[in-house]
Amino acid sequence: MIKRDWSPAEADTWTREDWLAAALSVIAFVLVALGATYAFLLRPIGFVLLGTGVALGGLVSWIVGPKLTAVSGEYEKKQAEYVEQLERIVRWEDHDG
Amino acid sequence: MIQLAPLDWLWLSLFLILMIGTGVAFYRLARRSEADFFLAGRRLPWWLPAVSVYATHTATDTPIFVTGVVFLHGVSGIWYTIFPVWVAVSAFTSTRIFRRSVAYTIAEWQNLRFSGIRAEMLRGWFAGWQFFMSMFVLGWVGAAMGKITTILFGWPGWIGIVGFSTICAVYVLAAGYWGVVVADFQQGIIAFLLILFVSIWALLAAGGPAAVVERIGRMNSSYTWAVPSDLPPSSDYMLKIEARVVEAGVPRMRSATAGPFTVALGQDDGADPERPSFADMYAEKEGLEVLFPTTGDVLRPGRKYKVLWTPLPDTEALSLHLSRDRGASWAVVADRLRNGQAWRLSPFAFTGYVSGDFPLAWFLTMLVMATLGGLGVGTNSDWFVEAQRIQSARTLKEASFVMLGGGASVLLRNGMWVAAGLGLFSLMPQYAETARVETAWYEAGFRYLPVGMVGLFVAGIVAIHLSTVSTRLNLGAMYATRDLYHHYVKPDASERELVWVGRVSTAILLLGSFVYGMMITEITQWLIFAMWIMFAGVWLPNILQVVWWRFNAWGYLSAWISSLVFSWLVVWVLPLFGVIPRLPDFVQFWVLLVLGTLVFLPFTLLTPPENMDHLVRFYVMTRPIGFWGPVKAEALRRGLLPGEAGP
Repeated sequence: MIKRDWSPAEADTWTREDWLAAALSVIAFVLVALGATYAFLLRPIGFVLLGTGVALGGLVSWIVGPKLTAVSGEYEKKQAEYVEQLERIVRWEDHDG
Repeated sequence: MIQLAPLDWLWLSLFLILMIGTGVAFYRLARRSEADFFLAGRRLPWWLPAVSVYATHTATDTPIFVTGVVFLHGVSGIWYTIFPVWVAVSAFTSTRIFRRSVAYTIAEWQNLRFSGIRAEMLRGWFAGWQFFMSMFVLGWVGAAMGKITTILFGWPGWIGIVGFSTICAVYVLAAGYWGVVVADFQQGIIAFLLILFVSIWALLAAGGPAAVVERIGRMNSSYTWAVPSDLPPSSDYMLKIEARVVEAGVPRMRSATAGPFTVALGQDDGADPERPSFADMYAEKEGLEVLFPTTGDVLRPGRKYKVLWTPLPDTEALSLHLSRDRGASWAVVADRLRNGQAWRLSPFAFTGYVSGDFPLAWFLTMLVMATLGGLGVGTNSDWFVEAQRIQSARTLKEASFVMLGGGASVLLRNGMWVAAGLGLFSLMPQYAETARVETAWYEAGFRYLPVGMVGLFVAGIVAIHLSTVSTRLNLGAMYATRDLYHHYVKPDASERELVWVGRVSTAILLLGSFVYGMMITEITQWLIFAMWIMFAGVWLPNILQVVWWRFNAWGYLSAWISSLVFSWLVVWVLPLFGVIPRLPDFVQFWVLLVLGTLVFLPFTLLTPPENMDHLVRFYVMTRPIGFWGPVKAEALRRGLLPGEAGP
């Protein structure tokens, strides 16, 4: 269900792992904020929410971590070329239109 | 008024020396190139810019804002601070796309996403606008610092506005972004610890967390009533609370009246909100009774007061009524009032679907704005700060962590502040004017922290202030240098020259911010305007530029121009002249979104798409999300996406 071995080309496409990570992260963020409030008020629900938020964060990392590593590794090889292109644009050496 | 002891001054001085020392230490790294001065050479590990995100978004006006919304809405006020959830979506979508573009700024991104003269117009506009916005933000946080130092120390406002920003400018001028992130790292840790300590102390001063919850749970009911400024002076006013109470399964109407009381013009504030009967809100009385105002009280037109009455169990509906003729006739002032104060402990204490001061529709609008906005680039004002941190991360993966780490720590901090705000509310629930309680968190720090920590607290406040100021100084200077000077004025400028232009731009921003700081008085008003309105009309275009290949520069330009016009018209001008009523902010957002769409969509569809060569290059470089079918097909046809199957 969750793919954890990625080739660079596969990792470059948008897949359900990306969407799942984004959706779970939103929930984790909300749980952290609410959990912190109630944990500071020493309400048991606060610690439950905070713990769940942190656990969700770990789950997100497990889901999308390998894919991010694959995307990042492949992209870093091309970055120097892109930065060079950017410098040509800012100096008007590369302009279309 | 706070008096600092010599030991306090020592803490503060050591802190400032540390910050300036940082600037000196990183001077040599920053002067090497434009990329070093503004992006730290794109070589930072994720945790440095992540702490910088946290530190930057912890400004002097943030506890003022958070305390204000918690006093108004209780725990539900946390939703006003939950907007950073946009980074949770962005970290896995738009952050990756923007990082791949390697653009220094969102202005530079325009040159990559769009082509031709339209892209240049957009780049120029973004650069100028962000330079101005940085000056504006610097002015407004400076004004907040001026307000704080005036209240706490009695210093003239200009010292808060000018003094600390000038100190901050020393290390920003010397070390650029290197100085910003390294100082932010120290400031972020100091600020986080102090927020933690002061929040704990505030809760302890309120009797401890359990006592706060228990006290709020048995407080009387209240409604903040703004006495109309046109209410004629008279001593015949009365108020009535009406309630539908269910007794043994049978609903019955109950009511209680107050007065007669007087509404009269005068020099003072009228009835004292701190008088013992009002401050002691813990009802032991049975039945419905209005506790404030009472017979003989004098209220002033145009001022806010908390109408106070005893809570009733099993109440279905509560409403407040005003009589101008000693009870002969009544007019509804407000309905759907809340019973007691226990609702403040719930995060979902909405006042209705669309009605009241905290409707469900507002909450849903904010969630949509934040989460879907995470797909776009530049969908809110924080994006411009985050963009610099995204590009300074050493890898694409670490850029995602920058966003996640920074956003999560901001929300953790907000949670602490909300709890502390609730504790402070339980100590001083009587104030109806938000201005009176906005600085309560700061005051609690000075009042309750033990001797020897006050100086550290001042250093923490200064840290909060400096982190925001340093970021905005360097960010604004980056737009001026990279996008205006380097691109338009002198494209062949040397690296050394560009670093110096960055420094001069920083100095100009600093001076401009002093002028703005002296002008801005209503912090909250500007904050809400900037957060909601300036981005409402371009929120959707900012997403479309990432997710829809057909969206073009003409559509984007028209959206920006129409947004500027519509936002001022809908928010300020038309209500001022009575053409439309003053709309709630969430309604303003949707109105501006619809009006903007009616302009940019025809412009987009009636003008040609961007140059396909340009789009293919952008696609291969950034791999955007969404509807890019024709561009992807063309990239595949040209063999630019090895390893991927055709459509």
